[in-house]
Amino acid sequence: MPKPFHLAWFMNFSVDEWNAPFSAGGDPWTGEFYIDMAKAMERACFDYVMIEDTLMIADAYGDSMEAYLKYALMGPKGDPAPLAALIANHTSKLGVVATMSTMAYPPFMLARLCSTLDSIAKGRFGWNIVTTGENHAARNFGMDELPPRQVRYDMADEYVELVKQLWDSWSPGAVVRDRDSDTYVDHTKVAPINFEGQFYKCRGPLNCVRSPQGRPTFVQAGGSPRGRQFAAETADSIIAAASGIAAMKEYRDDIRRRAAEAGRNPDDVKVFFIVTPILAETEAMAREKLAFYTSTDAFMVKVLAQISSVTDIDFSQFSLDEELPRMTTNGEQGSLEAFAQWGSGKTLRQLVADRATRGLDGIVGTPDQVARRLGEVMEEVGGDGFLITSPFQKVSRQYVNEICEGLVPALQRLGLTRTSYGDEPKFLRDRLREF
Amino acid sequence: MPKRFHLGWFMNFAVDEWNKPFAAGGRPWDGGFYVDMARSMERACFDYIMLEDTLMISEAYGHSTEAYLKYSIMGPKGDPSPMAALIAASTTKLGVVATMSTMAYPPFMLARLCATLDNIAGGRFGWNIVTSGENLAAMNFGMDELPPRQNRYDMADEYVELVKQLWGSWDRDAVVLDHETDTYADYTKVRPINFEGTYYKCRGPLNCVPTVQPGRPAFVQAGGSPRGRQFAAETADSIIAPSSGVAGIKAYRDDVRARAAAAGRDPDEIKVLFVVAPVLGETEEEAKAKFARISAAPSYIPKVLASISSITDIDFGQFDLDKELPHLTTNGEQGSLDAFAQWGSGKTLRQICMEQVSRGIDGLVGTPDQVADRMGEIMEEVGGDGFLITRPFTTNISRQYILEICEGLVPALQRRGLTRTEYTKSTLRETLREF
Repeated sequence: MPKPFHLAWFMNFSVDEWNAPFSAGGDPWTGEFYIDMAKAMERACFDYVMIEDTLMIADAYGDSMEAYLKYALMGPKGDPAPLAALIANHTSKLGVVATMSTMAYPPFMLARLCSTLDSIAKGRFGWNIVTTGENHAARNFGMDELPPRQVRYDMADEYVELVKQLWDSWSPGAVVRDRDSDTYVDHTKVAPINFEGQFYKCRGPLNCVRSPQGRPTFVQAGGSPRGRQFAAETADSIIAAASGIAAMKEYRDDIRRRAAEAGRNPDDVKVFFIVTPILAETEAMAREKLAFYTSTDAFMVKVLAQISSVTDIDFSQFSLDEELPRMTTNGEQGSLEAFAQWGSGKTLRQLVADRATRGLDGIVGTPDQVARRLGEVMEEVGGDGFLITSPFQKVSRQYVNEICEGLVPALQRLGLTRTSYGDEPKFLRDRLREF
Repeated sequence: MPKRFHLGWFMNFAVDEWNKPFAAGGRPWDGGFYVDMARSMERACFDYIMLEDTLMISEAYGHSTEAYLKYSIMGPKGDPSPMAALIAASTTKLGVVATMSTMAYPPFMLARLCATLDNIAGGRFGWNIVTSGENLAAMNFGMDELPPRQNRYDMADEYVELVKQLWGSWDRDAVVLDHETDTYADYTKVRPINFEGTYYKCRGPLNCVPTVQPGRPAFVQAGGSPRGRQFAAETADSIIAPSSGVAGIKAYRDDVRARAAAAGRDPDEIKVLFVVAPVLGETEEEAKAKFARISAAPSYIPKVLASISSITDIDFGQFDLDKELPHLTTNGEQGSLDAFAQWGSGKTLRQICMEQVSRGIDGLVGTPDQVADRMGEIMEEVGGDGFLITRPFTTNISRQYILEICEGLVPALQRRGLTRTEYTKSTLRETLREF
């Protein structure tokens, strides 16, 4: 019997598909579309839905917002926190993870918001820890540009330590609800933190009750070595790019090693690899879908605009039919490296085409084919799961259906993913540690 | 036919009553209790529910959090914004107002959060604009103390101007959804704001779609001091006002309307709602007995003293209950201190505590019919615009109280033609301006 693996979905509170043959979306801002998506995911027994976020409209590509707004790339986005509340309210088993940037929230506000959301979700909430990687975002917060990456990580380390202390400022059992003494909270179990670090200062205590999990489940993407270290030491679940089986295996083994060295049980850190399955009733139809989509000029622009934005590099300047020159970025270095595939000899045009399948072959086909392939990959890598994301930038009801009614049942038939959450509600952290 | 008036409810994401004969609460943190409350309010056709907020646990009384935590005074509180989302998604006509402090949110985050909530609510969202008034709150945000009050107002003026510009950074018709050209949004209708003030800097544009309500969410405000009243008169759609006797509230409303007119606004665009806490019973005797039980409760005096201690930053635990209060001044709310202390009246501290529960307006203790009559009289004298219901001082909100208001008082008001019997508008600002 193969070892089962975990499933999550990487999405955002963004525009759903509105201009494709079977999509009548484009106005998801009440949240209903994403509530429906979460319900479908819960029927398919996903571990969690992850609401990504960014805080700017890019103009990196061609020095203009035109492409970004035309194709709704990386924006507009609604604030993920209210959507997380709505999804939590309409589900009872699915984990709900929201991205919140340490640049964007005073620590006290983030701590209280996460605690509130975990209470609303009855212990199923997770915080996707990001520091923000775009200069335009920094400029929305009064800065001229981002702090250098190492400083951002130093700040994030301190920030996470601070908010952990805030979550612990209420000890378990502080809420007593003692009728005889008319006592709601025992004040001896609540204490200021008096935190004074290099970057942050906060007296505390938090002004809300301890949430069911005590602190949210921690999710993180860790590309650079420092990022891997931070994730290995802190995260319950890590989001990683899937740029080929060898790289995936290396990444996971490295994370597990770092976790062990930091005194953690490596099994407590679940690594999820991003995949973009492209599904149809026959393999030929799936391949045709992929070929059609990646052949359009619009696709080229979309991919280049996206990678321009996360790296703050204008990719419109490079020739499509040459290899990409070596570059570094103060933005998302991991994403740049995953995209660039330096040393592969591929042209920029080929790199763009690869983007749709994110460096993993065999995920274009029928549900059964793709399920088998995912099982093989997991077997070779060793674990822990996949983070589905839409290959075509926008989620649609059709794609949700293809995954939840097609791919997941095929995975379940192979014994690869859970067929039931069981009757007992579980905290998200425990759900992740189920296997 | 009498002129109709408006109804709101001033509450918080706080503990519901858990230690009374008809209250089995105390665990409202998943939001379910307040969703139920909002639904009751919508059946009773309230204009809006207002979620108040503060950001600290006080220690002013006895230099300890003990009383505040024992009796859940001013905390614990959940973050109101996810609660606002849940309420918005569970209602279709009720306005939803959430308190957000300019001290606590970077302007970009507040602007985006409000826009997200207004979209979730289909145009029924309002922002209760506060600056935070407690040093302990400032200490949770890395400051040693609050900025001086005038600075806080200067900062708030600039902050509100900034977020208005952010909300205006997308033209209302920027989203085009043009199928022919595959264009989601027209980039010529979205622009940075390049805001650079004394206190805040922000490039923009906002990275989410515009609010449903034109230009901004509804604005609600409490305008205490003259500067605050001016700010509210110039800016707010609805003002929260304390009730210090009928003459006092009439003077307040007239003053606000005069200031509004002087600032070039139609005074009818501002609805001033006066905070009241009716106590209801099936008979007048029952209501009066219920009212008397509030101030007879053993916890009543400590709760009053803890509340006034927190507002004034003076430890009222040091004074003899059976003597007159010595004269005092405060860096906190001097107006509230003066109103509380009644210097020159010859009353003991105990006596002035006992009087707190009646909040300066009489005749609101009785049967629904009696209280409805009295409210109608008051509105006739004052000229408008309505009342903000809140729980009686030192009590917690309960299903019982919500029932008494929504199933008792409001139907009595409706029978008199004093409040609406159905909604005719679908956005908050329109609902407020209905009459």
